[in-house]
Amino acid sequence: MIFAIYHVPFNKTIFMENIENQIFSSYQKNPDLYDEIHDKKGKVKEVYQKLFNLYGEHSIKDYVTLNNKAKSSFFNQGITFQVYGENNIQEKIFPFDLFPRIIDPVDWDIIERGSIQRSKALNLFLWDIYHDKKILKDKVVPVELITSSANYLDQMNGLNPPGGIYNHISGTDVIKHKDGKYYVLEDNIRCPSGVSYVICNRTALKKALFGVFNHYQTHTVTNYAENLLELLESVKPKGVDVPNVVVITPGMYNSAFYEHSYLAKTMGVELVEGRDLFVENDFVYMKTIKGPEKVDVIYRRIDDQFIDPLEFNPDSVLGVPGLFAAYKKGNVTLANAPGTGVADDKAVYTYMPEIIKYYLNEEPILNNVHTYHCSRPDELKYVLEHIHELVIKPVDEAGGYGISIGNKLSKEEIEKVKAEVKASPRKYVAQPIMSLSVHPTYIDDTESFEQRHVDLRTFTVLGKDKEFVLKGGLTRVALQRGNLIVNSSQGGGSKDTWVLKK
Amino acid sequence: MLARVANNLFWMGRYIERSEHVARYLNVNYFSSLDAPNLKSQDRQFVLRSMLFMVGDPEEDPDKFLKEEDVLYKIGLDPTYSSSIINNIKFARENANSARDLISTELYEAINKFYHFVINYPKEIFVKNGLHDFTTNVAEMTDILRGKIRGTLLHDATYAIISMGINIERATQITRMINAKFNDALLSQGGENDKFSKSFEWTTLLKCAESYDMMRRFYKKTPTSITTLEFLILNPNCPRSVMNSLNQVNQHVKILNPERRYNKDSTAFLIGRVRSEYEYKYIEEIDQDIKSFIENILKSLVDISDKVDEEFFNY
Amino acid sequence: MPREFEIKYRTEITYEDWVHNAYWQFLIIPIENDSQHDVEVEFNNSLFAITEYSINGYGFKTLRVHPKKKFKEVTFEATIKFIKEDIDPLKFKTNFNIALEHEELHKLDFKINHERFLKATPFTNITATQDQLYSFDVSISIFKNLENLNHWIYNYVQFSRNDIDKGTLLNEVILNKKGDCKDFAHLFCALARINGIPTRYVSGYLDRTNGFKGDSQLHAWVECYIPQIGWKGFDPTNNVLADINHIKICHGKDYNDCSPLKGIVNTQGKNKTTYSVTLHSCNS
Repeated sequence: MIFAIYHVPFNKTIFMENIENQIFSSYQKNPDLYDEIHDKKGKVKEVYQKLFNLYGEHSIKDYVTLNNKAKSSFFNQGITFQVYGENNIQEKIFPFDLFPRIIDPVDWDIIERGSIQRSKALNLFLWDIYHDKKILKDKVVPVELITSSANYLDQMNGLNPPGGIYNHISGTDVIKHKDGKYYVLEDNIRCPSGVSYVICNRTALKKALFGVFNHYQTHTVTNYAENLLELLESVKPKGVDVPNVVVITPGMYNSAFYEHSYLAKTMGVELVEGRDLFVENDFVYMKTIKGPEKVDVIYRRIDDQFIDPLEFNPDSVLGVPGLFAAYKKGNVTLANAPGTGVADDKAVYTYMPEIIKYYLNEEPILNNVHTYHCSRPDELKYVLEHIHELVIKPVDEAGGYGISIGNKLSKEEIEKVKAEVKASPRKYVAQPIMSLSVHPTYIDDTESFEQRHVDLRTFTVLGKDKEFVLKGGLTRVALQRGNLIVNSSQGGGSKDTWVLKK
Repeated sequence: MLARVANNLFWMGRYIERSEHVARYLNVNYFSSLDAPNLKSQDRQFVLRSMLFMVGDPEEDPDKFLKEEDVLYKIGLDPTYSSSIINNIKFARENANSARDLISTELYEAINKFYHFVINYPKEIFVKNGLHDFTTNVAEMTDILRGKIRGTLLHDATYAIISMGINIERATQITRMINAKFNDALLSQGGENDKFSKSFEWTTLLKCAESYDMMRRFYKKTPTSITTLEFLILNPNCPRSVMNSLNQVNQHVKILNPERRYNKDSTAFLIGRVRSEYEYKYIEEIDQDIKSFIENILKSLVDISDKVDEEFFNY
Repeated sequence: MPREFEIKYRTEITYEDWVHNAYWQFLIIPIENDSQHDVEVEFNNSLFAITEYSINGYGFKTLRVHPKKKFKEVTFEATIKFIKEDIDPLKFKTNFNIALEHEELHKLDFKINHERFLKATPFTNITATQDQLYSFDVSISIFKNLENLNHWIYNYVQFSRNDIDKGTLLNEVILNKKGDCKDFAHLFCALARINGIPTRYVSGYLDRTNGFKGDSQLHAWVECYIPQIGWKGFDPTNNVLADINHIKICHGKDYNDCSPLKGIVNTQGKNKTTYSVTLHSCNS
């Protein structure tokens, strides 16, 4: 009843019957989509062959049993997020799919180098726009992009963060388009979350299907915490010998609280809330059972506006009064630095190829989704002619408002959008409609594997002269058929992601 | 360790321990009263009132008829009653949640399973015929939790704080049970065979404290008021006794504050003082005025808890 | 001739209910610059809580207090002494090309360097029609234009003391043609910025012995960045240039950056705050 046993080995001896690929027998391949496990001819790719065979030896029933056991394991471990209903709070698990995604060493090399390249470029960009602003003066990025951004913090102007690092932790959302190439959809350099799920997914898959790991040489993902701690220690404030690192969380009711506690625990550092800290003479202390203890590096999982009520949002009860002054005086490190949000705006994204080139003098390793700026006449012309195959986005609207997807518009609607774009071209950008690759995913309702869109969030950590990309990452699955949005609050799930050793 | 988290751990320990005692009290009273030797102790109303008395919510109106299902539901599963078992476990888990980075995965998982067991226990079954199953499970799961606490945590400050919570709560709950049963023994005395000192309630009390077998082994006689109280309060070798709990609290506070300096304001000093008061007590001294003795113990325990709060959790 | 000033700043706050936790941050210490120096501060509170000397996010000096005991009322008292130089605000070179000066405003580098004091904020935001209120004349120097703007605002808005701490949005000020020194300064910022002049809101003390208008507590004026000259202070409330009577504490985009007292106070019920500032100059 309560003590679920989930150590059911998934190997041949238990299942005597061996029907040819039972669980994939009803898998339907849509030729218009890029299927990650099949090649163009519909044959299973070599790297997936073994996995395909191993899974195929079993019936859907076996699979369902394992799937349920994995679910209850997540539930018992309390790896849940809360959904606030009308009169109760429900705990839900982040849906997890037992069929893993494999990334071969060649592809991974591109993703890893590309993620580091972007993180480094963004870091240099942040330093520049909070100091000399050369990239603006050289007209590579328009000044309005920065000055009109609500995420640009005037207080960060001229401030030198310890170690020169702003975006210590970045999450890069990457997709594979139907052309088989990787594209970045978004950079997340505020408080990107999800890394704990990467590790939990691996643990769950290992428990449920340890047999399959014998057949693949997969990189570990459990080394994230030690790397993170090492990098956080590398950006300690001046004059500190062995820094005291803490993780600050908004509290146990935050939807990512599990991740916060996971990171604190695996790094072996304290998980604090704002009320556990105080500032005295511009140094930060935490309240322990033995009195105050100085804190040197804070991995913060609280948004900029809430970190210090005396400096930012005065209504914040999550922050620490005086924290920013301590930071400004160089007595404490905040990771990520305040004000990083300005660089992961949608508008800045469109300039990423130029930003990479400007600071690193390199070509971007990962593609950006090409962006047409309607403010440029020749690009406007292209946009107006190809509106049916483009996504039109307003530059200054966040959160998906005012987006028109060309191939879903009626003729009248297309004309309407055209008129709007023509009337104020500076307000719009356009991008090709991206088609996310699909991956076989077990669907409860139909009790079979179906194609579902996936993306990948990689986790990059930048320290002083050090960097690290977690060899894995979070593959997110859009569980609703045809849905392109892969987000946990919108019915998304996830998969274990295997990066194979060379 | 953070002061706030220490506070959470302390109360996690207390709530875990509390849920066990309440559960066992329900179980033992309900089932042993079914064939009690005297009419009063067998009376359903009498038993239900005793339960309410023990959780600190005595029914004041002597004429009111109590519905068994209502009382059981209230103490067991009522989410709106703050002292119900379900809420004790909810609070235990909530406290564990905010200290999640400090406790072992094994312990957290066990608390979490416990929580889901209680939260999903069907109310109808519980009040009809699930009392035994539910309370036995609760008691067993708290044993598992104590095992995880002992076996999967480093025996450092974290462990010391939780153990202090557990032991202060154990002493408190044992004393509350003594109080409730003392009250029952007074109420149920009557005929020749129902003398206070030989009341059937002392046996029930020992069973509530899971100490009946130990006690029989030690005294080899039917429990009386004196032997029961001596065993449950003063015998340091009885793992459920107030004395034993105080000894443990005394050991654990020294992990938190190993300082040997004379400091009459410290928690350690207060615990030592209360402990030594009971260490060399004659049970006969207590027997004369059990009521004020019980009140004194409870007050001492509250004082210790307050002192812990002041010294370690105050921020 | 330099003057020695002594300022006494006093705030008294009473709360209906007990306050268990409070943080206050005072932004009341004069900045040290060419005309203000040797600043000495003595700061006390009735709770005997420790005063921390710190800075805010823009680097201005602050005083922070965090009492450790509960209370219902508190008094803060500051005695601030410093020396103020008498620098003639009109003393700067004037022999430069007016056209070049105006041209400088349109350069990208200039706009980027002064970006912070060129953008509109909630308090310095005016609508498209209102920005026609005052236009610059490119045939005369920027300084002259700003003097004229100073004069124009002085005539346009009628001074009225306002007890509300929070500040008023410009829409209302323009509609009612009435305001306190904060509103004068905000309107100046808005109109100067729209004309391309980097302008910052200044908070400080005003010596009103000469009959100047201003709030009983703190005064507000502006500073504009003029190419080849630098930052110059204008006080539209009094139609003068900032001079020896204007003692600057700090500057910012608007009042929000300069609020003299910020409190994070954990309590139920209402509170009542009174301020008083007295200014005394020793040798004038």
